[in-house]
Amino acid sequence: MAMGSEQIFYEVLKTLNLEFIVLIAIGTFIGLIVGALPGLTTTMGIALLTGITFKFSGHSAIALLMGLYVGGVSGGSLSGVLIGIPGTPANAAATLDGFPLAMAGKGAQAITISRTASIIGTLFGIGCLAFFTPLLSNLALKFTSAEFCLLGLFGVLISGTLTGADLPMKGWIAGIFGLSIGMIGMDELTAWHRLTFGIPELIGGVPFIPIMIGFFGIPQVIEALMSEQDVLVAALDKTKVKLKEILVHWWTALRAGLIGVGIGIIPGVGEDVAAWVSYGVAKKGSKHPEEYGKGSYEGLVAAETADNACIGGAIIPLLSLGIPGSPPAAVLLGAFLIHGVRPGPMMSFEFPAFTYQAVSWLLVATLFMRFMALWLARPMQKILQIKNAILMPIVAVLCAIGAFSLDIRFLDIVLVFFAGLIGLIFRKGKYPPAPLVLGIILGPLVDTNFRRALKASGGDFSIFFTRPIALALALAIVVLILGQLGVFGMLREKWRNRKERTAV
Amino acid sequence: MIMEESTKRLRSLDFFMGTGFALIGLYVMFDGYIAYVSPALVTVEKSVNPGVTTLFVGGSLALLGLVLAVIGLRGSGNPFLKAAEVIPETLRKKSFLRGVLAMACIGVYFFIFWGRIPYVIATFIFLAGMMFLFKGGAWWKISLISGITVAVIWYLFGVLAMIPLP
Repeated sequence: MAMGSEQIFYEVLKTLNLEFIVLIAIGTFIGLIVGALPGLTTTMGIALLTGITFKFSGHSAIALLMGLYVGGVSGGSLSGVLIGIPGTPANAAATLDGFPLAMAGKGAQAITISRTASIIGTLFGIGCLAFFTPLLSNLALKFTSAEFCLLGLFGVLISGTLTGADLPMKGWIAGIFGLSIGMIGMDELTAWHRLTFGIPELIGGVPFIPIMIGFFGIPQVIEALMSEQDVLVAALDKTKVKLKEILVHWWTALRAGLIGVGIGIIPGVGEDVAAWVSYGVAKKGSKHPEEYGKGSYEGLVAAETADNACIGGAIIPLLSLGIPGSPPAAVLLGAFLIHGVRPGPMMSFEFPAFTYQAVSWLLVATLFMRFMALWLARPMQKILQIKNAILMPIVAVLCAIGAFSLDIRFLDIVLVFFAGLIGLIFRKGKYPPAPLVLGIILGPLVDTNFRRALKASGGDFSIFFTRPIALALALAIVVLILGQLGVFGMLREKWRNRKERTAV
Repeated sequence: MIMEESTKRLRSLDFFMGTGFALIGLYVMFDGYIAYVSPALVTVEKSVNPGVTTLFVGGSLALLGLVLAVIGLRGSGNPFLKAAEVIPETLRKKSFLRGVLAMACIGVYFFIFWGRIPYVIATFIFLAGMMFLFKGGAWWKISLISGITVAVIWYLFGVLAMIPLP
């Protein structure tokens, strides 16, 4: 159903009433706390809260979770500045300069600067979300099964390539392992039961949220309890930062915003990569690279703007293609589905106002984040001193009840435990979690569309490279694989050798 | 030198995990093969057979797992020897034992307490026990925090969200 701009405006206003505003405020507040507490990540917070809020009416739960997303990404820098331990991986780059500033007696300045950078980044991301989502949705309407299958496969592979810290192959393995988990259950096209091990509860597929709660929550609990660290909390000064001091870094902020949105759009990569890339680029182009890591305002702006801009970027492919751009967005997708919102190209027909509603919720969350973060800075000094031995058992209880409350069945608790074990093994072996999450989500999409495309073409594989968009995606996949196998490096080497021989 | 040693240890783990992934991949392929040749799906077009994707995904996982195992084998020298070195060393580490203890506590809460003891009591015992084991503070502080947490969870989930707590 097509909707006029007036109707869309009316729909947006409908979801900006007091109930929604209060829920967004609560979500942002929880996000700031979750993000700030080392050991609790935004992804885990969204997964836990999805379990808790599943009884809320659809849109209100999503608004709350979006508030948590904004608060979580931004909250991590609070602990980064105050105790030198980033609250979430996304804030690790900001900690490099935030903590030295706090130790030099400029803690309040560091928090104000990182908060302002967060706001600039989030607003930049939201702007891009509002502008690009409808464009990408229109393009996605031209996609057939072949394109969706290749896009899903490309998403898993590129996520694996970019997040594999040790070997890119580990990212691919994580992604394909995720695809295998995503295929568990009854096949949509033939009703055949796959990989169910004879367990009737698995016929409906593996529930995504318990897996996410276990995969992100349990390893965090275990790892936090493995080491007992004393926390050194920096004192906060009362000095204020002039707006001019921040605006002088406008170019760094703009570049970081572009990097953040760009990386956010790439499936399954996420905020931490955006922050590091932006920090690296800013340092390379800086007039004072020697100040980086010792308390550079510019470095803080670069990292914090990028990770927050990534939020909007990650939601663009989520809403337009149904493919999440970051791990928190992946869990958000699970929450969307639970609450009856199916993102993808058809969303512009089924929920025409949703993109703009999401934009308005994110804007409100940004506003709350601005005030709450400054207001929370001093109490946070106390909160950050809570021992892991107190906090982590509570997190374990929340993991269990969050997963159980979705379907009221014991199997979900079992899944939390085993997903937690897998998560621990993955961390030990340095396997990135993002491709696995993406694989589980995209498993059914890749599988069903692969076979639908083959059925449509009468079993002819040429459908995957005879249509222009499919060809571009297939080429991208081939280039990605060949690049990681070192084929291009070898060719470059050969070409250089030949050039040298010719010169001689 | 230390870096080289840690890389060798990681490669040794890669060998075992790569082998594990290859075996999982083979199982997935086997499941796909069963679907592909199943008489129950004889009326379904071969291209739509659910075994097609399962075979493809399982095959990819098996292949990548095998490649990783080879990388692990080459990078670690002898993965079995490295494992024989690392395992006793890890077992002696205090942090590892703390991790095992934490996992065991969670296992007891999930698999023994859950559904057998009323939720409020089970959660209180779990929280207080775990906080006590990991030295969370004085006993009265632990009891107070555990009690408040249980009360809040019971009210939020059991009363407000009307979830039938086990």
